[in-house]
Amino acid sequence: MIVAEQKKLDEILRMVAPYERVLILGCGTCVTVCGAGGEHEVSYLHNALKVAQRKSGNGTHALSEYTLKRQCDPEFLDMLAGRVEDVDAVLSLACGIGVQAVSERFRQLPVLPGVNTSFMGMPKEWGIWDERCAACGDCRLAETGGICPITRCTKGILNGPCAGTKSGKCEASREMDCAWVQIYQRLEGLRQLDSMRRYYPPRNFRVIPRPRRIVAKSTAGGNDGQVAA
Amino acid sequence: MSSATAGGIRTQTETRPKKAPCDHSLMPPCQVACPLHMDIREYVDLTAQGRIMEALQVIRDGNPFPSICAHVCTHPCEDACRRGQVDAPIAIRAVKRFAVEFGGDRMIRPEAETSHEQKVAVVGSGPAGLACAYYLRKLGYPVTIFEAHSELGGMLRVGIPQYRLPREVLDTEIHRLTSMGVEIRTNARVVSIDLLLEMGYRAVFLTIGAHQGLKMGIEGEDSPGVIDGATFLREVNLGLKPSLGEKVAVVGGGNVAIDAARTAVRLGVKQVKVLYRRSRAEMPANEEEVSQAEEEGIAMVFLAAPTRVRRRDGHLEVTCIRMELGEPDAGGRRQPVPVPGSEFQERLDALITAIGQAPQAPGSFGVRLGRGSTIQVDPVTMTTNRAGVFAGGDAVTGPATVVEALAAGRRAATRISDYLQHRYPLPEKEALDSLAGDLRPETVEAIRKIGRFEWETAPAEARAQDFAPIDLVYDWQAAISEARRCLRCGMGAEILAQDRCATCLTCLRVCPYHVPQLDQAGSVQIPVDQCQACGVCVVECPARAIVLRKPHDRRHIDRELDHIVQTAVQSNTKPLVIGFCCQYGLFGTGSLAGLWRKAAGGISIVPVLCTARVEADHMLRAFEAGAEGVFIAGCGVQCARENTDFWVQQRIAKVRRTLAQLQLEPERLQFFTTTAGGNGDMGQRLEAFAERIGTLYLASVLIQEVQK
Ligand SMILES: Cc1cc2nc3c(=O)[nH]c(=O)nc-3n(C[C@H](O)[C@H](O)[C@H](O)COP(=O)(O)OP(=O)(O)OC[C@H]3O[C@@H](n4cnc5c(N)ncnc54)[C@H](O)[C@@H]3O)c2cc1C
Ligand code: SF4
Ligand code: SF4
Ligand code: SF4
Repeated sequence: MIVAEQKKLDEILRMVAPYERVLILGCGTCVTVCGAGGEHEVSYLHNALKVAQRKSGNGTHALSEYTLKRQCDPEFLDMLAGRVEDVDAVLSLACGIGVQAVSERFRQLPVLPGVNTSFMGMPKEWGIWDERCAACGDCRLAETGGICPITRCTKGILNGPCAGTKSGKCEASREMDCAWVQIYQRLEGLRQLDSMRRYYPPRNFRVIPRPRRIVAKSTAGGNDGQVAA
Repeated sequence: MSSATAGGIRTQTETRPKKAPCDHSLMPPCQVACPLHMDIREYVDLTAQGRIMEALQVIRDGNPFPSICAHVCTHPCEDACRRGQVDAPIAIRAVKRFAVEFGGDRMIRPEAETSHEQKVAVVGSGPAGLACAYYLRKLGYPVTIFEAHSELGGMLRVGIPQYRLPREVLDTEIHRLTSMGVEIRTNARVVSIDLLLEMGYRAVFLTIGAHQGLKMGIEGEDSPGVIDGATFLREVNLGLKPSLGEKVAVVGGGNVAIDAARTAVRLGVKQVKVLYRRSRAEMPANEEEVSQAEEEGIAMVFLAAPTRVRRRDGHLEVTCIRMELGEPDAGGRRQPVPVPGSEFQERLDALITAIGQAPQAPGSFGVRLGRGSTIQVDPVTMTTNRAGVFAGGDAVTGPATVVEALAAGRRAATRISDYLQHRYPLPEKEALDSLAGDLRPETVEAIRKIGRFEWETAPAEARAQDFAPIDLVYDWQAAISEARRCLRCGMGAEILAQDRCATCLTCLRVCPYHVPQLDQAGSVQIPVDQCQACGVCVVECPARAIVLRKPHDRRHIDRELDHIVQTAVQSNTKPLVIGFCCQYGLFGTGSLAGLWRKAAGGISIVPVLCTARVEADHMLRAFEAGAEGVFIAGCGVQCARENTDFWVQQRIAKVRRTLAQLQLEPERLQFFTTTAGGNGDMGQRLEAFAERIGTLYLASVLIQEVQK
């Protein structure tokens, strides 16, 4: 899932400063799961902003809160219609997608990001999340024993390990496992070490044509029943 | 009559507790097992918070004569208590005993108004009769009790020995009844129901008990020196001092047998034996009382029964035979079978037979009798074959227990009222669903083991001397510690609406008891029979999808916090310090309760039912409300739950990070806990904290002045 982290309070305070009436908008999907922007965090941030106002003594913001099931789908955004009329800005705790979706839907409204969308990953345990996928668009996990070198190797190299590997750890940090040692061990266990012996030509991520789009629907044909490929 | 309440007690068709709106809690096994369905979980919880008078109110709401039950109840609730699956059941009776003894008569408000004209006669003044009279009075009927003996109480007075039920206790409870305006006719054995009806009674409740001792059916049973247990106890209880001699045997394995044996000891008999035809395991008598009897020097002879009695030279020659246990009977009890040729002789001065009693309804009553001469009634309406004549208690069930008799009396009052008001009697409705299911081994494993707190009992030598009460009561600390062991069965967490749940699995990961589970459909379930109501998942759920099942628990802290904030604003306290303080154990009540009162002015306490339920949000809201300092005070290692401190610390760390980002000193938020030995130096730590907050406050005021 998408993993995000709430922004520091001082940054949020600077962002909302110009606006009098602010709606704090949570999202009930990924950012709820990673504890960054669900209903619970919306209310916490709401309270934190109130403490800030009290402390600064110029409490002028009128804050409100609401959490949508998902901010990245237009149909859910319809539910906001009555709620954004009297606000000057929306502070969205959704990932970057949600922020853009809200902004696109309510064009007159400034939409401020309350979280830093960090990565795609999974929890290690309660309260700890790890990155797992870089969305490179050309998945090679079949050859790497199900371990992504692009995200889990510090250097993202496709033909590892590099010379910096030491006792299974990465030279960049003693704490960090060397992804390529893990890949080796996994492939050994799977009796697929020969995939290590292959050379993978380097990929230039800069040439990924952005923004990417996936089209799953086909252009339907005419009355003759023909369906385009 | 409305279905609501009359004079503060629950009346009408349902005798089980009413369900509050939005109350999704289930009835815990203790309450299901109690014939009166007392709200045990509630009064135990109130006791754990030191709110004894409120606990007593709950007790009195559910039981017309709680101090009697507190002394002699057979406590089926404890047998059902789920804590027994962990270590030992909650000592429910002892907790109740503490509450009634602590509260005394202070909660008694015996007034009752007469709102009906139809008179009701209650025949017999045992617990069933007394309870029926009590509730009929509360419902507004004129009631007369007819009692054959000179004093009221039935077996409570003439059966149960004084060392287990002091007569002052009985007298106090009976006094409550008489002061409610119940007419009492003692020395009035009823022989004819027709006469009562002629006297204008519109309904009659028969509660004549089961007083006729059963015969053993052996040769010589009627010899002088052989006496039945119930008669023997009655004589002693009525002030006679039957002389038994030096060597006495009691036949039987029930409570009456044990009571008779222990009474004999107290009358000065040198050697007392109990002969029981099965083994210890099958003994129906209360385990604890059997061991107390042994401590008092009574010998238990198992697998033995008398077969013949002969009187010779002023003594009894009793022939006994050894038994062995054969096949289980239909009821699953193994039947004793005599061992051929194993006869032995006992030379005794007296033999007390206590093998059971039967009711003895005079034929002139004209009521249909069933098995064991019990009065036959319709189980729902409690009516006999005669119109307007109801029956209950031992007379219907055969020898049973005080609490069953009380329940029968209460039910009869409702039924009689239905009858008199020409209402169709509704079958008893269960207000709450019952909690079923045992604790899973993983849950048991995770529950902190805290053994039962024992109360003191007078030493055996001392208590065998006289009829003084033997059970000493819990002291304050022990009662509260015991009450805290309750697992709060059936009032735990539930997912408010699956739709709100993001299936983030946080609850699965944070629950200290591994309760939440994923079902086959991939939805999260919180099994109500496993949840310990700690509230950790409620606070941690990022979607706020979980609530506690009892409405009172849901917004408890918010309400208390609002209240404190309001009061503080009104009194303009500065600097304001707000503490979220656990109400259980030492804090609510014990040595720490006074701490807050003594502490430096300006400390406001938000009472919480376990600090695990305090959210980071609550702490922030306290600051937002103007608190200069906030603290959480918990029981530390003394907490009856798991991981409480860990979660409090997590939340404190989070709020401190926020405070730091707002340029507020993180030290403004503190966590205090007791240590293993007690409260440690909590008082000093708190005082130092308040002082530090005072300094920070002054500094901030100065800075503001300077800025101006
Ligand atoms: C020795 C002993 C110890 C016990 N210990 C316990 C214990 O520890 N815990 C427990 O829960 N239970 C105990 N029991 C059982 C308990 O006392 C009875 O189950 C309970 O008292 C039954 O109540 P009741 O109202 O049905 O009848 P009873 O208490 O038997 O009362 C019946 C009353 O009706 C009166 N009566 C009978 N006939 C007439 C008539 N014709 N006219 C007027 N009055 C009449 C009798 O005199 C008596 O007062 C004990 C019983 C005995 C004998
Ligand atoms: S643990 Fe508490 S609620 Fe559960 S059965 Fe025992 S007394 Fe009742
Ligand atoms: S913590 Fe809340 S949102 Fe997460 S799985 Fe449990 S109930 Fe659902
Ligand atoms: S965390 Fe506590 S309240 Fe939640 S399911 Fe587990 S025991 Fe119940």
